[in-house]
Amino acid sequence: MKVDLAIIGAGPAGLAAAIQANKSGIKAENILLIERNNSLGGILQQCIHDGFGVILFKKALTGPEYAQIFIDELEQRKIRYMLNSTVISVEKVGEGFILKVCSKENGFLEILARAIIFATGCRERTRSQIFTPGSRPAGIYTAGCVQNLMNLKGLLPGRSAVILGSGDVGLIMARRLTLEGIKVKAVVEIMPYCSGLPRNLVQCLQDYGIPLYLRHTVIDIRGKKRVKEVVIAKVDDKFNPVEGSEKIIPCDTLILSVGLIPENEIARNLGVAIDQKTQGPVVDENLQTSIKGVFACGNSLHVHDLVDYVTLEGKKAGKAAAEYLLFDRLGKCNIKIIAGKGIRYVLPHFISGKKDVSLFLRVTKPGRNKRLIARFQNRIIKEELKRKVNPAEMIKFELDKELLHDVREIEISLLD
Amino acid sequence: MVEKYDFLIIGAGVVGSAIARELSKYEAKVLVLEKECDVCFGTSGRNSGVSHAGFYMPPGSLKAKLNVLGNKLMPGLCKELDVPFKEIGKLVVAKNEDEISYLEKLKSQGEKNGVKGLKLIDSREIKKLEPEVNGVAALYSRHSGILDPFELTIALAENALENGVEIKLKHEVTDIAVRENFFEVKTTKGSFRAEWLINSAGLFADEIAKLVGIHSYRIYPCRGEYHVLDKNHSNLVSMLIYPVPPLESGGLGVHLTPTVHGNLMLGPSAEYISDKEDFSTSRDVMEELIREAKEMVPKIEKASVIRSFAGIRPKLVPKGKAFADFVIKEEEKVEKFINLVGIESPGLTAAPAIAKMVVELIKEKQELKRKKVFKARRKRPRRFYELNDAERKKLVKKDKRYAEIICRCELVTRKEIIDAWKNPLGARSLNSIKLRTRAGMGRCQGSFCLPRILEVLEEEFGFEALNLTLSCDDSRLFSDYSRKSLGKDES
Amino acid sequence: MPTKKFVCIVCPNSCEIYVSVNEKNEILKLEGNLCPRGEDYVRKELKAPERVVTSTVKVRDGNMPLVSVKTSKPIPKEKIFEVMEEIRKLEVRAPIKIGDVLLKNIAGTSADLVATKNVLFKKNNK
Repeated sequence: MKVDLAIIGAGPAGLAAAIQANKSGIKAENILLIERNNSLGGILQQCIHDGFGVILFKKALTGPEYAQIFIDELEQRKIRYMLNSTVISVEKVGEGFILKVCSKENGFLEILARAIIFATGCRERTRSQIFTPGSRPAGIYTAGCVQNLMNLKGLLPGRSAVILGSGDVGLIMARRLTLEGIKVKAVVEIMPYCSGLPRNLVQCLQDYGIPLYLRHTVIDIRGKKRVKEVVIAKVDDKFNPVEGSEKIIPCDTLILSVGLIPENEIARNLGVAIDQKTQGPVVDENLQTSIKGVFACGNSLHVHDLVDYVTLEGKKAGKAAAEYLLFDRLGKCNIKIIAGKGIRYVLPHFISGKKDVSLFLRVTKPGRNKRLIARFQNRIIKEELKRKVNPAEMIKFELDKELLHDVREIEISLLD
Repeated sequence: MVEKYDFLIIGAGVVGSAIARELSKYEAKVLVLEKECDVCFGTSGRNSGVSHAGFYMPPGSLKAKLNVLGNKLMPGLCKELDVPFKEIGKLVVAKNEDEISYLEKLKSQGEKNGVKGLKLIDSREIKKLEPEVNGVAALYSRHSGILDPFELTIALAENALENGVEIKLKHEVTDIAVRENFFEVKTTKGSFRAEWLINSAGLFADEIAKLVGIHSYRIYPCRGEYHVLDKNHSNLVSMLIYPVPPLESGGLGVHLTPTVHGNLMLGPSAEYISDKEDFSTSRDVMEELIREAKEMVPKIEKASVIRSFAGIRPKLVPKGKAFADFVIKEEEKVEKFINLVGIESPGLTAAPAIAKMVVELIKEKQELKRKKVFKARRKRPRRFYELNDAERKKLVKKDKRYAEIICRCELVTRKEIIDAWKNPLGARSLNSIKLRTRAGMGRCQGSFCLPRILEVLEEEFGFEALNLTLSCDDSRLFSDYSRKSLGKDES
Repeated sequence: MPTKKFVCIVCPNSCEIYVSVNEKNEILKLEGNLCPRGEDYVRKELKAPERVVTSTVKVRDGNMPLVSVKTSKPIPKEKIFEVMEEIRKLEVRAPIKIGDVLLKNIAGTSADLVATKNVLFKKNNK
């Protein structure tokens, strides 16, 4: 099988990329969207809560509704897709690529593509990765896994739960569990601030009187066959447990919402350069990676909080892939973007300076009344006052091309 | 009528399974009783998976003799049973000049034990073999190897089964009556009689011995914690790397153990505890393991850990006391009761040799007739992950269910999940699938594959989700359905 | 006069809105919102807080066992669990399209329960 453009992942990023690539001139039959689940839409299909599409559609849709908008357009455009198909490797061959795919319907396939878009989403950080000690009984889950089990299969993980991590997934699940009759005894967050969006703190915890323990973590899990109780404790500035602050919370379920990690196994094996901070590919303003013809977008590039931005990123990647395929005129991007003081990461990593560009970044810690500054050596290129900043909320920082004359690299920092 | 067996083995860990398989070569009625819902759920499922060469053991000890013999038998046994095995070699590394004398002692001890392939090397040679390892000198051991302990135990048990041994899971021994000509063994699921009783109950061997009136043993549980590193971060070393054990410093002496599947394991620690089933990990030990591992290989990162677990050694002596040898004997007080107590490291390596020794002990008392037909070979189910693309293509053409990826981290397919669930031992738990397929052992630790495994079980076997357990009966994963009439009771 | 702080949940800006009320819970001062929707939200929160409820409903003969649902508009906060009770009891038949009204006037809130996912017909499914 030969296609012009293979898109790995049919979540919001992949769907948007496919549609845009088609709009930008790639024929529908030359695009192939490869999805390992048995439906399009990716993670959105299990996100039955609302709040999606506020920016793009001015509506608070549920995940499945948001996905369906794009699924309908994809079908209408007759863009090709394969479900129940897992890409197990991508290799460079000549000017193009060969994808090895395991497909439920079509068996073991080798697909040739001239360009690739990675839209492979992310996976969840595990209990083991955060070094939570204790036993390993039944009843320990990551939040996304519980979300899948509850929302797609109707299975309840337990009767009473503690949630570790106050990220959005954890907060949403706190509400979900409560509505299904499961007692959520606490949400425990190691930082001194809630890592999810403020409105989720209101509608998921405060609404139901679920206590939030900031500056706390789980220091022990007990129970031989099934979780019996967890022990939480306050932590100091070095995140070490404070003696004497231990509290035992009886429960039969521990749910972990301790971070998402972009999934880039296939990209790594292909040889795409990865940014250690984001765990996603290094990209330029066209979302092209270090390998020509390979693009990345969505959560596999960096973890987003709003699906609307995922869609926009997918669109950008689709458009760039189309321009690459049709005209091969994606310009050189030699201006490096550096994350300076107060900035955890900035994307893209390289820009051309010849186009207006939107930078996306996250700060290292919450703050008020800060200045977001773009600087080349001693010259401040742009400065913006931010009333409120928060690591949980991605920030868009636009740079017009007029500002980029003679610039060779740009440092983004957050100052008082 | 109570069933009467010639031989009844208590405990289906690697030792019990090895004995069962060895006995299955002879004309005899053999029964294995295992209290867990699968074989290998005790110490055999919680260790480094190493086939030691045999230089750590004091010369003249049973441990030394059986270690060296087991190490010799292991490659052939693994080949017969289709169990992954690699002779990767080991370096015992001295980090300063003072430690070199220890290496010399080890080498000489090994040679006394009959170990071949031992050589002292200098720092230059260390760097050539293992560029990431720091050390001034090392003892190189050629015949140290690694294997999959789960696969070995399962293979031994399945092969024993195929050769006529009965294996009853979920049968916990609660009482034993020593009658004149037989033992009457009471379990949670019925009674059984046997002429010979073989106690390979691992951590609980002392308690089983008590049931026949032998009170001279006591097991001191000594827990060891491990870290497993992500495969992407496991290529720092290719051999077993052990430090010289710290004498005064009280450190752990962390081992770096590559696994046959491409992970790197750090550990184990050693901590005497009181509860034989307390497999919990602890913060201090977890941090210490990383710290010491980084001393040997600075590039090791805490962020590479994908799993931490613990195993418990059934030690015969408490903390501070020196060496205790294996106890493998027919007890004088109780005829035809073969007692195996204190089978800690090098228990895995020694298992094939222990099995042969037990058969010899039996032969001292009675004749054992070899079976005319013994199916020595056993083939394990195909693993998609281990094949190259051409082989994968062929396999998928034969059975399309190999094209459905269930566990993305370890590339486990639908067909493998089905084969694992259909295992001949009748073990039906999530961990049973995990041990047989490696699904859930990857970096995401099962959060991706759990719903998919469930779907396979439901679709292929009509399995009821609420019945899914992690290991045994009281480890159910789900409490209820969220809506009435989900689940099987449908009109 | 106590000042209450609200975090507006209408859009991602999550404005922090500070309100002073008198004994009759009438608003004396309100500030912090970037748009009028924030003011509406706070007014509602003070008098009669409302929420949209999202959940799942059992489906018969569908290509999946559950359909995701939502209330067609926010319902009074104190009726959330009553609404959940109705949702739990409900069973619908495939096929279902996004927007289908599965239950009118759920728990007397005047909001309908609406499907948010397409479910295809598939016989012999539980």
